[in-house]
Amino acid sequence: MRDANARKQAFEGLRVADLAWVGVGPLVSKYLADHGAEVIRVESTTYPETLRRVGPFVDDVPSVDGSGYYANFNSSKLCMSVNLKHARGPEMVKRLIAQCDVVTESFTPGTMARFGLDYESLRALRPDIIMISMPLYGQTGPWASYMGYGHVLQAAAGYNHLTGWPEEPPIGTGVAYTDFLVPHIAATALIAALDYRRRTGIGQYIDFSQMEGAVHGLGTAILDWTANGHEQTRMGNRDPEAAPHGCYLCRDGRYIVLACRTEKHWEAFKAALGRPEWCDLERMRRRWQRLNELKEIDRHIQAWIDAVSVDPARPEVVVDDAPDVPADWRFTTDELVAHFQRFGVPCGVVKSPEEMRADLQLEHRKHYWQLEHPTMGLRSYDGPAFRLSETPGVLRKAAPLLGADNEYVYRDLIGLDEEEFVELLTDGALD
Amino acid sequence: MAVSPQSSTPFHPGPLAGYRILDLADEKGQLCARLLGELGADVIKVEPREGDPTRNNGPFFRGEPAADMSVYWWAMNSGKRSITCELRLEPGRDLFRQLVAQSDMLIETAMPGEMAALGLGYDALREVNPALLMVSITNFGQTGPYSSWQATDIVGSAMGGHMFLNGDEERGPVRTTAPQAYAQVNFQAAVGAMTALYARGVNDGLGQHVDVSTQESMAVAMDNNQPIWDIRRINPKRPGVRRNNVGVLGARYLWETNDGWVTALSVGGLIGPGAGAIIDWLAESGEARGLDAPHWREKLTTLAPLDPTELAHVEETMAAFCRTRQKEALVAEAQRRGSGWAPVFGPREIVESTQLAARDVWVRVVHEDIGESFIYPGAPFKLSATPWAQGARAPHIGEHNEQIYGALLGLEAADLRRLKMRMVL
Repeated sequence: MRDANARKQAFEGLRVADLAWVGVGPLVSKYLADHGAEVIRVESTTYPETLRRVGPFVDDVPSVDGSGYYANFNSSKLCMSVNLKHARGPEMVKRLIAQCDVVTESFTPGTMARFGLDYESLRALRPDIIMISMPLYGQTGPWASYMGYGHVLQAAAGYNHLTGWPEEPPIGTGVAYTDFLVPHIAATALIAALDYRRRTGIGQYIDFSQMEGAVHGLGTAILDWTANGHEQTRMGNRDPEAAPHGCYLCRDGRYIVLACRTEKHWEAFKAALGRPEWCDLERMRRRWQRLNELKEIDRHIQAWIDAVSVDPARPEVVVDDAPDVPADWRFTTDELVAHFQRFGVPCGVVKSPEEMRADLQLEHRKHYWQLEHPTMGLRSYDGPAFRLSETPGVLRKAAPLLGADNEYVYRDLIGLDEEEFVELLTDGALD
Repeated sequence: MAVSPQSSTPFHPGPLAGYRILDLADEKGQLCARLLGELGADVIKVEPREGDPTRNNGPFFRGEPAADMSVYWWAMNSGKRSITCELRLEPGRDLFRQLVAQSDMLIETAMPGEMAALGLGYDALREVNPALLMVSITNFGQTGPYSSWQATDIVGSAMGGHMFLNGDEERGPVRTTAPQAYAQVNFQAAVGAMTALYARGVNDGLGQHVDVSTQESMAVAMDNNQPIWDIRRINPKRPGVRRNNVGVLGARYLWETNDGWVTALSVGGLIGPGAGAIIDWLAESGEARGLDAPHWREKLTTLAPLDPTELAHVEETMAAFCRTRQKEALVAEAQRRGSGWAPVFGPREIVESTQLAARDVWVRVVHEDIGESFIYPGAPFKLSATPWAQGARAPHIGEHNEQIYGALLGLEAADLRRLKMRMVL
């Protein structure tokens, strides 16, 4: 057996200059930081990172050091402040990058070049540097300079078109969706490039377009159009392959979902319902038949749930015309899910943020980390969605205060002496 | 437009060239394996004799279910080679172990315990290959109270906290029709796999078991709603055509045009420091409905609170303006004026997008077996030194048995015939 203490975290010893903003960039460097890299956020007090200015804030008091949004995406990182518009700002960043293995950024294309921080310039400083740029639409093309956030990129990338009810507006997801999809794709490319460098010594530049990454998450929608001329669209909670498949309201106001993709699921579902007669109708026999009977199936399921679902907080509701179910079949929402699962039916609760925080499975996996932040106190952070058995991710510290590590970065890494550091500080280069 | 090779070639320009991956995955891991293959790894799909069950997934070419005509299979398995290997029989498991000994990574999606029951759990395979990276992708993780629960995409979406945030108050939660729990867990698995691969490189060939959960992959896609609960104790409402602003229902972001829809935050930029440029735009067309008056300009640019009647007036002004115009022209002009609008695109418009055409992202994959070729989504990123590259069309069942068993295990035609007779291949 190897000595566990001698094991290195995956990215231990790598240093990253993270000039990226908002969601995508910081989530890419979070993977590296939580698995051992020294990630230095390069920020400014004059133009604070957008997420530092968006809540939630503790006690609702806005502060660049108080955003839970920023904090959750920036665990395990350091932070320096620099004003790139100060005459000596870009030089300081260059001197830092000369000590780094990776540079990440998500500015509008051309911005890095304006500060002399384009790949060709950085490669001259550090030939094996890996640089990744990740704006919305990539470095080139008619939309290269287009602005926006994940809330609207999800529209351009097809997610609005595919989310909502048929014949109703393409509402999209309720979040800045692509911000939480494309970082994984960018990180995969970045780590692959790092592994190539580890073996060959060759660095490179990665031109990542958030939109181009996002279209890879559309399942079969693109190929169904190009091969079949069929344009997939939003189907509410239905699925072209499964019947039943939907979301149903329980007595306590919560929703459950259930899905029968295979005949095995359907057999389990019939047993879980107590084998009501409608299930054995000829037109319910095969999946392709049931796909034509979804309205009726949904009506039966909702009536059955109305009959067995109870809200522990309220007295029992009597249902007229209830389906025939055993008198002792009374289930809270969690019991209902457990009931279906006992029979082998894919089923689950639509969980709120509050329920996620209390979820037994996530607790078992120790998904949420409690980290002490100097101004925000003890707060909950997301850990990674995967566990490595030998070198698992570790959230080493809470998010950094703005400029918290200036002393270390300017003195130890950039190599300024005391006098020069104070001079730059008083001249506003660190703003 | 780049064109795929007609058959899988051993030479790949990607950064992962030289690594070998065995793919036993279903919907939760096939896209992960495909992505790593497009980065250069040699991905071998290992199928039972009758073929992988996902070969029966729709949609099908021309809507007609038939062998080798699953568009799902094509989309998720291009670039891979396929062998058959019956893991339910000991000779099959023996062949599989020999392949594991020569591979860097195994990606599998069996229910927890199923691989171990076959004698192919991580502990057993580690004996065969101590440097193996075994990536196990499941609904809820390898252990824990829900680890034996059944799930499909919608269950992952619901139990992962994502579905609660989508939909509207009237109709309740809604799932994205293109399966997102599957998309998320595939890409998270790719990061986990790459992290383990890098850790192996710096730790002298250290093998690992990578445990990836679909639920947990969705849990990290909740935007800022986890810290909102942690700090403010708010569960947001489902916003429909509006957006949540730190857990509280805010302004509308979705606007109908005469040819579809556009999205634009903060009432299309009418609320915020840059509102002046958008007010001017409306005023130039005579459609400002009074918003160009000084007191309105002041109010909108300083983000002064609006009462419900005022907000309704601002929203109705923007809605009326968009309704008579075309989406791409609206987006281009709004962007010129400094507001980050985007059009709502469906699959056809994405494929026809001028931006993606200018970036040359599409590739044509040759299906020489049916005399056709189709456009696939191309490189998700452009690597300057080691480019991503599209592989050949998805393989037929066991298409590469002779090639792979011959080259890797030294089996000859007579051996393969014997194994086929014994129903191992």
